[in-house]
Amino acid sequence: MNRLNNLEKLREEGMQSLFPAKTKILVGMATCGQAAGANEVWQVLQREAARKKIDVLVTKTGCIGMCQHEPLVDVIKPGYPRITYDRVTAEKAAQLLGGAAAGKFSKGMMARIDHEEFLLDDTSRRYHAGKLPAYLSSLSTYKRLPFYRKQQRIALRNCGYIDPENIAEYVAKGGYFSFARLLQGGAPEKVVSLVKKSRLRGRGGAGFPTGIKWEACRSAAGEEKYLICNADEGDPGAYMDRSILEGDPHSIIEGMLIGGFAVGARKGYIYVRAEYPLAIERLERALAQAREQGLLGDAVLASQFDFDIEINRGAGAFVCGEETALIQSIQGNWGEPKPRPPFPALSGLWGKPTVINNVETWANVPAIVAKGAKWFAGIGTDKSKGTKVFSLVGKVNNIGLVEVPMGITLKEIIYDIGGGVPKGRRFKAVQTGGPSGGCIPGELIDLPVDFDRLQKAGSIMGSGGMIVMDDRTCMVDVAKYFLSFLEDESCGKCVPCRVGIRRMRELLDDITAGRGRPGDADYLQHMAEVIKDGSLCGLGKTAPNPVLATLRYFRDEYEAHIREKRCPAGVCKSLITYAIDAERCTGCGACLRACPEGAVSGSKKKPHRIHIEKCIKCGACFEVCAFDAIVT
Amino acid sequence: MVKLTIDDQEIRVAEGTTVLTAAERLGIRIPTLCHHESLMPYGGCRLCVVEVLRNGRAEIAASCTYPVEEGLTIATNTGRVQKVRRLVLELLLSEAPDAQGIRDLAGEMGVTSPERLKKREDDLCILCGRCIRACREVVGANAIDYAQRGYQRTVAAPFYKSSADCIACGTCYAICPTGAVGMQEVEEGETARIPQGKEVEGPARIMVNWKVGLPMKRCKQCGDVIAPDFQLAYLQKKVGLAGDHFDTCPRCRE
Repeated sequence: MNRLNNLEKLREEGMQSLFPAKTKILVGMATCGQAAGANEVWQVLQREAARKKIDVLVTKTGCIGMCQHEPLVDVIKPGYPRITYDRVTAEKAAQLLGGAAAGKFSKGMMARIDHEEFLLDDTSRRYHAGKLPAYLSSLSTYKRLPFYRKQQRIALRNCGYIDPENIAEYVAKGGYFSFARLLQGGAPEKVVSLVKKSRLRGRGGAGFPTGIKWEACRSAAGEEKYLICNADEGDPGAYMDRSILEGDPHSIIEGMLIGGFAVGARKGYIYVRAEYPLAIERLERALAQAREQGLLGDAVLASQFDFDIEINRGAGAFVCGEETALIQSIQGNWGEPKPRPPFPALSGLWGKPTVINNVETWANVPAIVAKGAKWFAGIGTDKSKGTKVFSLVGKVNNIGLVEVPMGITLKEIIYDIGGGVPKGRRFKAVQTGGPSGGCIPGELIDLPVDFDRLQKAGSIMGSGGMIVMDDRTCMVDVAKYFLSFLEDESCGKCVPCRVGIRRMRELLDDITAGRGRPGDADYLQHMAEVIKDGSLCGLGKTAPNPVLATLRYFRDEYEAHIREKRCPAGVCKSLITYAIDAERCTGCGACLRACPEGAVSGSKKKPHRIHIEKCIKCGACFEVCAFDAIVT
Repeated sequence: MVKLTIDDQEIRVAEGTTVLTAAERLGIRIPTLCHHESLMPYGGCRLCVVEVLRNGRAEIAASCTYPVEEGLTIATNTGRVQKVRRLVLELLLSEAPDAQGIRDLAGEMGVTSPERLKKREDDLCILCGRCIRACREVVGANAIDYAQRGYQRTVAAPFYKSSADCIACGTCYAICPTGAVGMQEVEEGETARIPQGKEVEGPARIMVNWKVGLPMKRCKQCGDVIAPDFQLAYLQKKVGLAGDHFDTCPRCRE
């Protein structure tokens, strides 16, 4: 009972921190917030509070998902709901500080939060009682914001709500209790069967059932077993795992503690890319706090269970996200994949049975243990249970980090949550699964998102990148971009991947430069299919996907490049010349001002023209024209 | 013992055997390139792929690295397998069009150099890694390894400098399937220059790729050249032979 007593004490401490007796100001200090200027905001708040002797707490929190509104600052004042300010500047920060102290919130509020949710305990606590003044009651709550209405946060349950550097706040949100209760007489095999029944599938890309992996490792021969958290997130435009590590590192630690208990491992590794310094810093702090509380180390919470976690930094290789290459890298070898079988669950790190799961998968585990397999399996579709975190980027109005139940349609994600395509342009396609995935065209916008349906449509779930493209995106160029990325990231061990991707990329270079020949599309298709079949690891086996998907849905664009030497989207520089449509041109002069070469001439309110001999095809005029008068 | 079926023939082999070895035992020929019987399985070239039927799913896998399993069904020469092997050879022909080993293999399978693919004319190396593995696993000198990754990958001594560990034994030269490893014997009375290095006097051996030139040892009795000095010193130490063991050639020792 002593074990729970200690946690109870921490919980009380955390509750006081979440609902303090005095005003608290929360600054979103994940990498996204800091990039948008949160560090300056943080300094201004500290400095001004000291200078004006305003008695407030200023603390950090992680990413709440609204990247486009960063920096975000929240004010929690006793007796009031939690108020969120967006796009906070130094000036706005000083104002909101003064307002908060005076008891009248300053302008520039984005939304309010009435309840703090405690997902793991199935409760919530209201911030304020009684009636709100009109200027606050008219403010939208988070739940009513279109961006949040259709979201369901399980893996991201604490991100943006707690201080990731304070273990007490994690505990106050119900953290570590699931694990501590397991230690009191819980049976490891029951945990494995619980995770199996929840039908959780790996969030790293392939969607392998987590429980089956755990069971294989648990029943594998040998005393020495390992756990690995794969945090080598490397897809361009994807930052789901980074946000969880930065916003809620203890959820990973607790997930791994549960996993270690279940499969009989005593040591875990978190393999995190070195390009995530803040995530590493917060993880290190979280590990130190967990050790201090007796949650890691020998005799965890005074039980018979020993478990500790070590951080291993990646050295900048995309392929090390592939599990066998990752294991090689931890062992100090080349980050080079190995053939499977043997699978890591039987022979992994140092040749011992090893469970390797992705960050988001681990973050789901404490919630499943706390709320049960039935609850989790009740969310989502037939074969894809629970939620999935996506980083929604590209040509979409609300860029951000979203968590949605499996089975939600692309349309709901892109239009209801994402707010549609900017400038009223046409939605052309969405790339899921990063460079290993494929694009899904506009006509499939009603497709429900889950592992199997995405795969059937020629893409993959992948780790959760979602790049929205509008009608000014050239799909041949997109395929070329992803292949170039993979060409750089291929380890070079096997021939289909090392040479095949290179040769495909060279063909795409030809096609986009007007050197395509009839038959190129068929040859690409053939190469892509065989490379997919013949490559050694997941990188090579999925690398052709962007080519295959664009050929499947946008073959006419390939043919336009090859036969007509024309880029329909107006992207491929060798195939376009810019001109001004005199009928559409209003003579506003925007293009003239934007042109860095002085290649545009014209007088006010009269149609302008482009001088081809000076034009460098940078596309600046094309970007700024509000009347679609620049044609290619 | 494990029972499996390869091309409709049943065979029993010891656990830990690879599919390639089991197939060879049945007299089934599977083309290989990066594989070598003296080296650990690697699985890089993908020429030895076969179709593996496992849990009701047919997948392509390299036979040289695939461990046998009870009840496996293997097909070594399906259309799907052929497609992979042919593309591998086409890609290798584009990488090293002049490599005789590749041209021979391609000729055997009726594969010709695809005209539409760019060619890389400057290199015979196809990165199969046989030289690296031989140096590590057979010789134990660990003088060379891969450098860079992906298409930039090469085989080199550390930092592309003259290897400090190479003993000029020539195993890499002998095991290379494409003639990409250069070895030059400098005869008595001749001189030659080590790439980016100094001039050496014969008798000596230059390992061109690893930028090493080492003197050859002569037999004290008959005066014939035996082998590079360093190689003999390495062997003598490794095997624990007497200090004067290699002073004479094997013939004179008898």
